[in-house]
Amino acid sequence: MIEVLGVHKSFGPLEVLRGVSLDVAAGEVVVVLGPSGSGKSTLLRTINHLEKVDRGYITIDGELIGYRRRGGKLHELKEREILKQRKDIGFVFQNFNLFPHLTALENVAEVAALSDARHFLERVGLADKAAAYPRQLSGGQQQRVAIARALATRPKVVLFDEPTSALDPELVGEVLDVLRDLARSGTTMVVVTHEIGFAREVADRIVFIDDGLIVEEGTPGEVLDHPVHERTRAFLSKVL
Amino acid sequence: MTSGTLTLVSTKDDDLSSLPVVPARHPWRWVGVAFVLVLAAQFVHGLVTNPAWDWPTFARYFTARSILTAVGTTIVLTVLGTVLGFALGIVVAVLRMSKSPFLSAVGWTYIWAFRSIPLIVQLLFWFNISYLYQRLSLGVPFGPEFVSFETIALISPMGAAVLGLALHQAAYAAEIVRSGVISVDRGQLEAAAALGIPRFRQFRRIILPQAMRSILPNAANEVISLFKGTSVVSVMAIGELFYQVQVIYGRNARVVALLMVATVWYIILTTLLSIGQHYVERYFARGDRR
Repeated sequence: MIEVLGVHKSFGPLEVLRGVSLDVAAGEVVVVLGPSGSGKSTLLRTINHLEKVDRGYITIDGELIGYRRRGGKLHELKEREILKQRKDIGFVFQNFNLFPHLTALENVAEVAALSDARHFLERVGLADKAAAYPRQLSGGQQQRVAIARALATRPKVVLFDEPTSALDPELVGEVLDVLRDLARSGTTMVVVTHEIGFAREVADRIVFIDDGLIVEEGTPGEVLDHPVHERTRAFLSKVL
Repeated sequence: MTSGTLTLVSTKDDDLSSLPVVPARHPWRWVGVAFVLVLAAQFVHGLVTNPAWDWPTFARYFTARSILTAVGTTIVLTVLGTVLGFALGIVVAVLRMSKSPFLSAVGWTYIWAFRSIPLIVQLLFWFNISYLYQRLSLGVPFGPEFVSFETIALISPMGAAVLGLALHQAAYAAEIVRSGVISVDRGQLEAAAALGIPRFRQFRRIILPQAMRSILPNAANEVISLFKGTSVVSVMAIGELFYQVQVIYGRNARVVALLMVATVWYIILTTLLSIGQHYVERYFARGDRR
């Protein structure tokens, strides 16, 4: 479904991704763990071309993201074509990034028909908050609206960039419940998170990334309970 | 030690929660209020009793046909200057924010040039453009001409005034629009891009409504300042409000009364603009209510 191959990305002199390859199957839930600054958010942002890669490529259902192959070269797509591709890739931000001047319903309806928008709000349990502005909602509710909005384009895959990191502890649960529900319904998901408990319960596969490279990957049992690599062990000992 | 304990117990017996609360008094505030009221009374007294204000003349001219026509001209100049100025200003702001260094430099240069030239100089320049170019033509540089006009027929004094005001206004409007756009959180653009919302729609539906919140107070300042700034075009003998009162007091020497006619009209129209500003701002603040 998603194929990431040999992706490199630098910001100035700082090499954030140093050759990352990752396959995600349809319906699979992949949780990406790693220390801050390890490149996990950047990896996620390259998948929907919010960040351009320096080397390597990404395909979704075999379609090259952000580029077109012509002759022996990869030509960057026009912005209009990239925007069209992004409809297939839902993205949920750490800071929600809801549109503050639009109501919850209007936020979702910005990318879907009104009836669809209502349906997706209902799906995250916020049908009764349709008329509320983001500022009138709690952080957890805002993130759930953001998830409804990301689902509204009916994407093939949804990417979550630390969806609970900006939330008060008591609000984390309601957002994880929505994620759990999505995972159960067979949504293809890549989740960057620090919620180890959630990773253990929901992930089909855990990928541990450090210093721009995938250090280790496997089932939750393998990575969390029997980490092979020293760096994975050091990280887990800090967060578990 | 023992006495301390005793005090605590006695406070508890004497239940403070039932006592009424007396707010702190501010006697000096009342002194300030009295002082200002006396000054205001003196000012009003002067307005009413000093015959030099010449209120009968004021009353005669305030709604005179010539003055009303002039007020109309002032409004037309303001509206055209605002609409054309902000329309061009948005274009200049977009150029200035372009990723292309050339287009960005074009935007920057426009703003630099039109902020550098005093409005009155620019107006006189446009007024006298026909001395510089007798004919204007459309065509290929150094090649054939397609159409050509007499400059003097194309640019009337009123046209020159509108042109000057709009070009001047556009430079300021561009910076106000740009300040609004860069005040919108980066995450908003990212979210819109991640959702695949087309570029123009991103600007119109997501960025502009949020930018409006910081654009509006500045834009209202500009409109009001342009509105009074139209008095500058009196140098081009255009019959706007300020030119008209000058003409009249040049004839009858009632300088103060006629300046008051203009002043009161400026105050009335500025008040209307301020009220309009209040409602427009309230509309764009709708996501900010709790």
